[in-house]
Amino acid sequence: MTDETMQEYASLYVLDLLEGLELDAFQAQLARDPALRQLVRELAEAAAHLAHDAPDASPPAALKARILARLDTPAQAAAPATVIPFKVPCWVPWAAAAVFVLTSAWLSQLYLGSRAAAALLRDQQLLADFELKSARHQLEAERIISRQELSASTAGSTDLNRALQLARQQAADAEAQLTRTQQLLAARDTQLAQATQLVADTEARARREADLASLKIATLASLLGSSPQALAVAVWSPTRQEGVLRVEKLPALAPDKDYQLWLIDPQYPIPVDGGVFTVDPASGAASYAFKAGKPVRAITKFAVSLERKGGVPRAEGPMVLFGP
Amino acid sequence: MKPDTPIDLSAPAAERARVDAALLGRAAGGDRDALGELYDRFSRPLFATALRITGSAAEAEDVVQEVFLSLWTRARTFEVARGSAFAWAVTLTRHRAIDRVRQRNRRSELLGQATAEEAGTQPAPAGPDSAAALLAREHAGAVRSAVASLPPEQRRALELAFFDGLTQQEIAASLRQPLGTVKARIRRGLIRLREIIGGHHD
Repeated sequence: MTDETMQEYASLYVLDLLEGLELDAFQAQLARDPALRQLVRELAEAAAHLAHDAPDASPPAALKARILARLDTPAQAAAPATVIPFKVPCWVPWAAAAVFVLTSAWLSQLYLGSRAAAALLRDQQLLADFELKSARHQLEAERIISRQELSASTAGSTDLNRALQLARQQAADAEAQLTRTQQLLAARDTQLAQATQLVADTEARARREADLASLKIATLASLLGSSPQALAVAVWSPTRQEGVLRVEKLPALAPDKDYQLWLIDPQYPIPVDGGVFTVDPASGAASYAFKAGKPVRAITKFAVSLERKGGVPRAEGPMVLFGP
Repeated sequence: MKPDTPIDLSAPAAERARVDAALLGRAAGGDRDALGELYDRFSRPLFATALRITGSAAEAEDVVQEVFLSLWTRARTFEVARGSAFAWAVTLTRHRAIDRVRQRNRRSELLGQATAEEAGTQPAPAGPDSAAALLAREHAGAVRSAVASLPPEQRRALELAFFDGLTQQEIAASLRQPLGTVKARIRRGLIRLREIIGGHHD
């Protein structure tokens, strides 16, 4: 990218005039390029001084006292900022990557811990089930014994009733334990679901960061002797397989002609068709969102040729723009 | 085009940025006087900017109040390496003021009413200036002269972006110029302003 193109993008960026794919691409470039970050810092500083260009006006005298009176909470107690003060997050992709790694490690730990805890609780549930069954078996056995003993003698009925009560109490305790264990298990399952969702969200964010980091920006220069000022900037997202081409000062087209974009990928013997576009006849400008005609791995060059209306499968007309 | 008499603001700008950063550091430690001094240094251009964007003194007051409360609560997050305290305050002011205008326009569209009902379009009487405020006014005057030295077409494009929050396409339509011309004017204007303010010469 030329210095002038870079300066133009940086100027538009500090005034919040970039959007969409161009903004994404510029922010990705900003994260990679310390010199660009310095340029953005200086231009943001210059832009801030435009505040002095507003017609001079004083705030009312009472405003200062009103603001100072509202400083109830010491600054130290304030919550950490949730808003980034400048739109110059040069370190954001690196920080996001670090946060992603740390968060993933923490979530993995939480996930594994939750799984282990859930397994433990399931074991406890099985144990409680077993205890319940044992208690029931014991109760049944004692009922049988007590019936036999009752038939033999009514003298031992008091002891038998006591044993029966004990067995019933044991069964009730085991059932209560089982209920508690089931509740704990349900809570753990909820935690597990939340951790799984967090892992999924973090992975989605990481995929988007990786997408931004892979954006490519290229400047195409004029090959036209008659229009040496013609210029284009292409922004390409390899992961999305789509891009934006902005052209300026291209000659106006004849009614039976189109400009056609070509993507040069070394894996293919001929350039890949990027589609056709027209330009504003007065300014020669256009903004064209394109997709590759077939999957491309790495674009090394972009080219624009003048073709017959509707485009051609293989470039036939003269090349008008080429780069980087 | 350069001004006939070059305006060297670079040394004062660096010194001002250093003092501003120190005051913000003290505010981060809970020093209310430091925030008061920052108010004396910043409030006039911030209020003027908010008033220019919103067109309402009452809204401009609200914006300035929100900005200083933000500076107070977020002072600890300030990093000199990412820009000056003044640039941060201006960015906050501009974003909040433009947001208010957009909200107001959305409300008006919903209600089908004009936007001129906003109360208090005239600023209330100003208080006496402190020493810091007087120095700030002197600096502002020098900067205003520097901005005025920009070619009018560059200055107009910058103003439409900075104060009116217009998109590239809206600026081009407003100026009836091709998009490429508008972008070039913005680039040249900001680069020139950087040279004047920061002492850079490419």
